[in-house]
Amino acid sequence: MKISVQWLNDYIDHKLKPQDLAERLTMAGLEVEEMTAFGATQVLQMEITPNRPDCLSVLGIAREVSAICQKHLKFPQIKKLPNASPKISISIDDKQACGRYIGAVIKDVQVKESPTWLKERIEALGLKSINNIVDITNFCLMEMGQPLHAFDYDKLTGGQIQVRRARSGEELKTLDGQTHKLSSDFLVIADGKQPVALAGIMGGYDSQITVETKNILLESAHFSFGLIRRTTRAVGLNSDSSYRFERGVHWDTIERCSNRAIDLILNIAGGKLDARRDVVSQKPKAFKRTITLPIQEINDLLGFFPSEAKCKSILSKLGFGVKSAKKGVFKIDVPDHRQDVAQPADVIEEIARIIGFDHLPMTVPQIKALNIPEDSNRSNLKKSLYQRLLAQGCDEIITYSMTNQKNLEKSSQSTNPPLKIVNPLSQEQELMRPSLLPSFLSVVLGNVNRSEKNLRFFEFGRIYSQGAEKETIGILLAGEKIPDWRSFKREPVDIFDLKGIVEQTLMPLSKGDVSFRLAEFPALEIGQSVQCNIGSLCVGYLGRVSANILNKWDIKTVPVFFAQLDLQEMYGINRPPIKFVPIVDFPSVVRDVSLAVKLETAYDQIREICFSFGGDILKSVRFVEQYVGDKIQTGYRGIVFSLTYQSFQGTLKEETVNAVHEKICNALIAQLGAVKR
Amino acid sequence: MRWDFQKIQNDIQEDFKSVLDEKTLESFRIKYLGKKGLISEIYGSFPSLPCEEKAVVGKGANQLKVLATQLVDQKLATLQSKTSQEGRPAIDVTLPGISRPVGHAHVLTQTINEICEIFEKLGFVIHDSPEIETEFNNFTALNIPVDHPSRDSFDTFYIDWPDPTNKGRKLLLRSQTSPGQIRVMQKCKPPMAVVIPGKVYRPDAVDASHSFMFHQIEGLMVDDAVRFSDLKGLLTAFCQEFFGSDIRMRFRPHFFPFTEPSAEVDVYWKAKDAWLEILGCGMVNPKVFDAVGYPKNKYKGLAFGLGVERMAMLKYGINDIRLFYENDVRFLNQF
Repeated sequence: MKISVQWLNDYIDHKLKPQDLAERLTMAGLEVEEMTAFGATQVLQMEITPNRPDCLSVLGIAREVSAICQKHLKFPQIKKLPNASPKISISIDDKQACGRYIGAVIKDVQVKESPTWLKERIEALGLKSINNIVDITNFCLMEMGQPLHAFDYDKLTGGQIQVRRARSGEELKTLDGQTHKLSSDFLVIADGKQPVALAGIMGGYDSQITVETKNILLESAHFSFGLIRRTTRAVGLNSDSSYRFERGVHWDTIERCSNRAIDLILNIAGGKLDARRDVVSQKPKAFKRTITLPIQEINDLLGFFPSEAKCKSILSKLGFGVKSAKKGVFKIDVPDHRQDVAQPADVIEEIARIIGFDHLPMTVPQIKALNIPEDSNRSNLKKSLYQRLLAQGCDEIITYSMTNQKNLEKSSQSTNPPLKIVNPLSQEQELMRPSLLPSFLSVVLGNVNRSEKNLRFFEFGRIYSQGAEKETIGILLAGEKIPDWRSFKREPVDIFDLKGIVEQTLMPLSKGDVSFRLAEFPALEIGQSVQCNIGSLCVGYLGRVSANILNKWDIKTVPVFFAQLDLQEMYGINRPPIKFVPIVDFPSVVRDVSLAVKLETAYDQIREICFSFGGDILKSVRFVEQYVGDKIQTGYRGIVFSLTYQSFQGTLKEETVNAVHEKICNALIAQLGAVKR
Repeated sequence: MRWDFQKIQNDIQEDFKSVLDEKTLESFRIKYLGKKGLISEIYGSFPSLPCEEKAVVGKGANQLKVLATQLVDQKLATLQSKTSQEGRPAIDVTLPGISRPVGHAHVLTQTINEICEIFEKLGFVIHDSPEIETEFNNFTALNIPVDHPSRDSFDTFYIDWPDPTNKGRKLLLRSQTSPGQIRVMQKCKPPMAVVIPGKVYRPDAVDASHSFMFHQIEGLMVDDAVRFSDLKGLLTAFCQEFFGSDIRMRFRPHFFPFTEPSAEVDVYWKAKDAWLEILGCGMVNPKVFDAVGYPKNKYKGLAFGLGVERMAMLKYGINDIRLFYENDVRFLNQF
């Protein structure tokens, strides 16, 4: 909202420089966003918070300035209106939507250019001067905050005013030249035949005031803010009027403002008040509110005691009635333009903001966080997983939680019905994602298109289904392995790169008890689609994103591996505290084993057999390498691993190691059909 | 005297002149310092010496041993450094080292952590709160009236799932982290001091400064006696820690339905010569305490909420909010 300083000065002699005025208003909660010169005056661009509809006028701001500077306010003088007959046909059909309608018919006006002072004032606020009648309605709107509208009375069929819902099929061309199709959701002002204004929003084109206009009907009314808001949204039309109706107008000002406009019109445009009628369909209860405020409460809330006299003078300048009921207690009458003030804290805020928050003291708070259950288990787990991902060279990404049907289908993630957004911003973001994969693939696509092909990403993000959310971790590798200039090989990433990251990340939780087995997951290539378990609990999946899916995403030339881990499940895993294991100083013995095993034999089977025959001296089994090729009989692959033996009791004797080692080798040969190489 | 120490010393030095490589050095070492070398022989003669000679011979033998050892060590060092350079190409030590890359934490996470850590140091506890919320927690309990514009579907995303606590209504995506306040207060009794970071959603069309998803950090402290002066003290301490102790800031009265009084905090940004709003705050509105069922007039509280993207944009000079979610590695790798 714009306020011209020149106009403001008509009502209050604040003696402040415009710059200081702007500063004081801002620091009292009426933010001046910008100050610009317009002719001889400065214009303040103000941001008024939605709780202060009383400040949406020059007089409203003047009242605030009066409290800030402790100066009296000069109200405009309105002459007593000449007598007029109540013979105007006004009917209010929708009594919920329109509580009051004052119509005044002024005959034989002279529509012409406005006098300079009037033009200056409204033009400073960015309004275009149209003619004296329209300018006066705008002037009064800005002065008092009550929207007015003037119709060409002779253009109203039957000289009638009906406040009603529009009928389907009706249309209205508004002042801005746009034609709107109307429905019963719209409140209109109609004459005997058709709509002539979108109530509270904008007048009709055909009944506007022109130089030919002789007789006018001046409207000042009360429209319900809910309906106005819905209508402005539906037609995409905002006006100074609708802005004020949406925030609520003041009952008494409806009449005061009408009278002010009639007075000005008679003065400036001449003519004669022919008729005037005030139709009240729904009168609100008279507002009366008294708040009891023990002075001690001011200190309790602010940590500061303003003087009693100061409190009284601030409140009375803002229009509050202040009485000291007994010692130490204020009785405060709230004026009806300040219905936002409802409790002691609200009154204290009024005092504090006029004094200025920057003038209030500062203290160091005594912080006691005793009763908040800090879920340190969760946050510690999250932290350690997060750090391990970073340490393994993965960059954290943050992606939108929304996705769309098309992306889900492209990622083969559309099996379960996803959670829909009722009012999406666009089709692009119509669904809450049930999986992190589409988000990751779109990030890959973006980067690959910019020639960034070697990607290592992770995200701690939520997925959504069934009206609930779940914390998950996504990990993605694409392109080549981490380069090393000492070797010329540039190899694409493979599933073991991803598996390694997953194993290493989960280590604090799994303590090594993590297992992987083939399982089918949509979007992952069969044979490279793996379920990940900690103990017996499935915590996620990983694998190679199938070529088919990458094609659909138009991701070319790079292999992509993806894992999604369920953080929520991991929270449930009990982590035993770390216990120190004494370091054994007795020497260990390492023996390598080289076997040809059947292709279908899993390395895990080998490990299991080793440990089941290793007694208490086999400390570890370490994989060394595998060989697949023509130097080995078909149906077999070569595997090399090394076994470490060690005892807590003493130095192992060669015979002891040999005995165990032989047992293991024999078992491998017997149980797996392996052949020594 | 059986041993002429002066002569032996001269022999040693003379012999040493013919030491040229590792091989001759080794024979020199064996001759004098070996198990059967001259110096061992001198020590070996020790028991048979008359008492008066023992001291002189002991001293002489020690001096010889020191001398011969020094000569051998020096020569060994020079020979070794020679051999290590010979026959090998020089290493270009300015070539890049081999390192496993360390990942980059997203700048928003870094900002969230930085802010939360400051409040943790001040005694606050970090708490997590869900994104899918009820109308009660997101609006009603926060004293946002039924007909308030922000409840309209235009300012909040509703999801197609019934609210189990409110028949006929749907769940929504929180439009602010403030419903986290309600959840914490419903769960716990004061005193409490908590910060709640997280994602929030609003149907704002995307441009350089708007996003339909962004991050906020909510703060709440409730106790018997919390005052506006504490709020000022707390947030001043925070701003000085985050922006530097010379930051200029101001508390500007504002309006939030869930705090009374309410303020926005501006910091003075030298580069722009302007006050920039960084957070909203206030004293918890007694109506919010009513909504969570706290006894009347028993507690006071302070609350604040800040936008993470805005803080990060200010701190790092990022000019477009969309960069945070594009995840271009050229952006990610800068932080």
